[in-house]
Amino acid sequence: MKAGSALLEAEGLVRRYAMRRGLLGRAVEVRAVDGVSLKLERGRTLGLVGESGCGKSTTGRLVLGMETPDAGRVSFDGAIMPQPGSVAWRAMRARMQMVFQDPLGALDRRLPIATQVGEPLDIHGIGARAERAARVETLLRAVGLRPDQGARYPHELSGGQRQRAVLARALATDPALLVCDEPISALDVSIQAQVMNLLVDLQEQFGTAMLFVSHDLRAVRQVSHRVAVMYLGRIVEEGEPDGVLHEPAHPYSRALVSAIPHPGRAGQRIVLQGDPPNPADRPSGCAFHPRCPVATNLCARETPALKARPDGRLVACHVAHGEVSAGQGHTRQEAA
Amino acid sequence: MLRFLATRLARAALTIAMVVTFAFVVLRLSGDPAQIIMGADAPPEAVEAFRTAWGLDEPIWVQYLSYFWAILQGDLGRSMRDGRDAIVLVTERIPATLALTLPALAIKICLGIPAGIYAALHRNSLADRVVMIIAVAGFTVPSFVLGLLLVLVFAVQLGWLPSGGQESWRHGILPVITLGLGGAAVLARFTRSAMLEVLGQPYIRTASAKGVPWRAVVTGHALPNAAIPTVTIIGFMVGTLIAGAVVVESVFSWPGVGRLLVVAVANRDLAVVQCILLLVAITMVCANLIVDLLYGLLDPRLRAAPRKAA
Amino acid sequence: MPEAPLVIIAPTAPAKTRRKAPSALVVFGIGWLMLMLIVALLADILAPYAYTALDLRNRLSPPILLGGNWLHPLGTDELGRDVLSRLIYSIRTSLLIAFGATIIGAAVGTSLGFLAAHFRGFIEQAVLALVDFSASLPFLILALAVLAFFGNSLLLLVCLLGLHAWERYARIARGLALAAGTQGYAAAVRGLGASPWRIYGRHVLPNIASTLIVSMTLAFPEVILLESGLSFLGLGVQPPETSLGSMVGYGREYLTRAPWILLAPASTIVLTTLSVSLIGDWLRDKLDPTLR
Repeated sequence: MKAGSALLEAEGLVRRYAMRRGLLGRAVEVRAVDGVSLKLERGRTLGLVGESGCGKSTTGRLVLGMETPDAGRVSFDGAIMPQPGSVAWRAMRARMQMVFQDPLGALDRRLPIATQVGEPLDIHGIGARAERAARVETLLRAVGLRPDQGARYPHELSGGQRQRAVLARALATDPALLVCDEPISALDVSIQAQVMNLLVDLQEQFGTAMLFVSHDLRAVRQVSHRVAVMYLGRIVEEGEPDGVLHEPAHPYSRALVSAIPHPGRAGQRIVLQGDPPNPADRPSGCAFHPRCPVATNLCARETPALKARPDGRLVACHVAHGEVSAGQGHTRQEAA
Repeated sequence: MLRFLATRLARAALTIAMVVTFAFVVLRLSGDPAQIIMGADAPPEAVEAFRTAWGLDEPIWVQYLSYFWAILQGDLGRSMRDGRDAIVLVTERIPATLALTLPALAIKICLGIPAGIYAALHRNSLADRVVMIIAVAGFTVPSFVLGLLLVLVFAVQLGWLPSGGQESWRHGILPVITLGLGGAAVLARFTRSAMLEVLGQPYIRTASAKGVPWRAVVTGHALPNAAIPTVTIIGFMVGTLIAGAVVVESVFSWPGVGRLLVVAVANRDLAVVQCILLLVAITMVCANLIVDLLYGLLDPRLRAAPRKAA
Repeated sequence: MPEAPLVIIAPTAPAKTRRKAPSALVVFGIGWLMLMLIVALLADILAPYAYTALDLRNRLSPPILLGGNWLHPLGTDELGRDVLSRLIYSIRTSLLIAFGATIIGAAVGTSLGFLAAHFRGFIEQAVLALVDFSASLPFLILALAVLAFFGNSLLLLVCLLGLHAWERYARIARGLALAAGTQGYAAAVRGLGASPWRIYGRHVLPNIASTLIVSMTLAFPEVILLESGLSFLGLGVQPPETSLGSMVGYGREYLTRAPWILLAPASTIVLTTLSVSLIGDWLRDKLDPTLR
């Protein structure tokens, strides 16, 4: 394992959607992802956190090449991502895989599990026919399923078992990168921990790099070597998981952390004011400023850049960088 | 609303343009019209003269443009058989067809909709079963079979009504009944399922649960909502007023547009066929336009967000 | 109507549980359809005479029930042709056309629907415009126009009727493929690197097959009715070939003197379309309650 050299590099990713509102509405441009750069090393995990609609899932699809960015570029193992659907792109799928939020939806309910787990092997022509069956068995065992469960159909398995099957399928080609899009949020709480542990074990066993997309900061911390917090299409803070969790620098990260229920700590929770983020109606300057408790006038005018602090933490906040002293929050603008 | 109207009109024009193009393409694909009309053993000079007369010797795209241009000016060609203007031939048949289709439409609406609503409100009752059996029968008995059975009973056996022709209003009774019954069955079946679907909606349960009288629930909530899909099918029926009686007119030797179409097809009188095709398309498109506008009135949601263009 | 709300409040549940087992009508429908299939397949063995064979001594002979003889159980027509034999061959022709046309329609419509869902953009708009176009014209008129332009042949007739209802399959296939492609199993399989052939052939098609089969069962009687209508008008199946519709058309001339010529094929049409409709409704409730 060539530790240290970046497996995945994304630079300045932008993804816009046109959204039409109402009958007479003009097409409104929605920037789901607005200039995201990230870097992932082999065998490491990057956690991507943010509330729904912040563009984290879109980022996941962009780095996988499932969608083409409107600006910016993705390179995987030093090569630029080919056009989605092309032969080169399809061949590349053997090296990068996705795990979905809804395992039942991601599985074909008309085929038995073993057939689906072995499908990547068929698609990419890996191994002889007889070897494939053995490989499927190994994979099922690796994710904690019994080989006889391979004959079952998706609806005959529990939610956790289905997610294990999806994992087995994703790992079939021994990919270098796994993008997990909210892999546990559809599961029962009791099952979530099992699947999280399984992910960590599998990473050790297979040496797979992971991009772990979740709204749950604690889950992300458990598996990640680095975390990035997203707000309205941008990364607002990035650093070591423990650092971000214990000493969040960005006001938004602070609100996220304070929202984690903590036994024994009757902490003050930061309740965010103002409208939930609407990517179609992005505020000026720092996108977070209308909800930010420490916003200043500068925040409404100027977009803060994602810069490193002396301790290596990356933050995009005027206040956190000391460019301006904390304000009293910004008076909310009338919605246009 | 203006924009809504404009897109609707543009789509209607596109559909008609497609029908014209379809007619043209199919016409040219079908072989040499001159040879077809003149017959295989016609003298070559005569065929050539025919080609020149009908503009068949021009390049294909010139033919297409002039064809389109002519149609825009209302020139739909002449009957290749007797040389009269196709449009005149067709329009003089329209009153006869409407004499059948309009009363039939009235029967469909007056019989089909109440029967469907009644069946839905009394689901699984005897009346519902009877309505549904008649409705299924109305769909599976082809109109020519129904028409001939009526002739067999009322004209041949009982001798009450004439079996064909157009001499008096009594000649119209059997064809109108034939057309009306079949359509009423379709409409009843459709209204019933639309009604049942609406009655299963939570807002109906809410309304009746909060104590709104049942009669008011039905008239105030269920009927307007069930009317939306029903209007579509009625719109389709209105669209077929001109040429919805092809088979029935043939059964009863009724000299309407449908009979003209069948004769024209048998004789390969292409100008007349084209003319009817276009006329039907225009009627259909207009009916669809009206339905779309009615939708806007019936369903406020659609005023705000119409169906996606195309 | 004070009792009415109670009936309404449990709208569909009881009906559905009852429909699990096929009703007597559905059993009848399946039985009749099987009979028709056997007749169509074994027409050469079952038919007592060739369908063009003349028996000039027994012209317009009535069927047994009306006092005819066993030589011609369903009677003969004006040329002394055996009605039973003609009926058997007509069933074969009509079923052949209806099956062929239904399969063509489903194949064309599903392929176009998949194409629209896969490529989106211009191709999708073109397919949708075609769908609008065919939905905006009564199919009978369109069919008559094509027959006028192209003349007539059995193959053309099958292909033409195959275009009937294609737009329904196209709509269904496109809608379901889009739904599967945005987040469901199809997107997942695409992410595995599968080719479009594999995605649509091995995954999407089997998943939407039940919906398509139900649509086919619902379209089948319509095709029979269209074919018999066209043949009745003398514009469908051409003599010496015979179909149920053309038999009715021919028998119409003898409505007063020999109604049996017409009644035998007419009742066959009605029973067959009725059977398939019943089966179709039953299948729809059983397999795919989301279809209207």
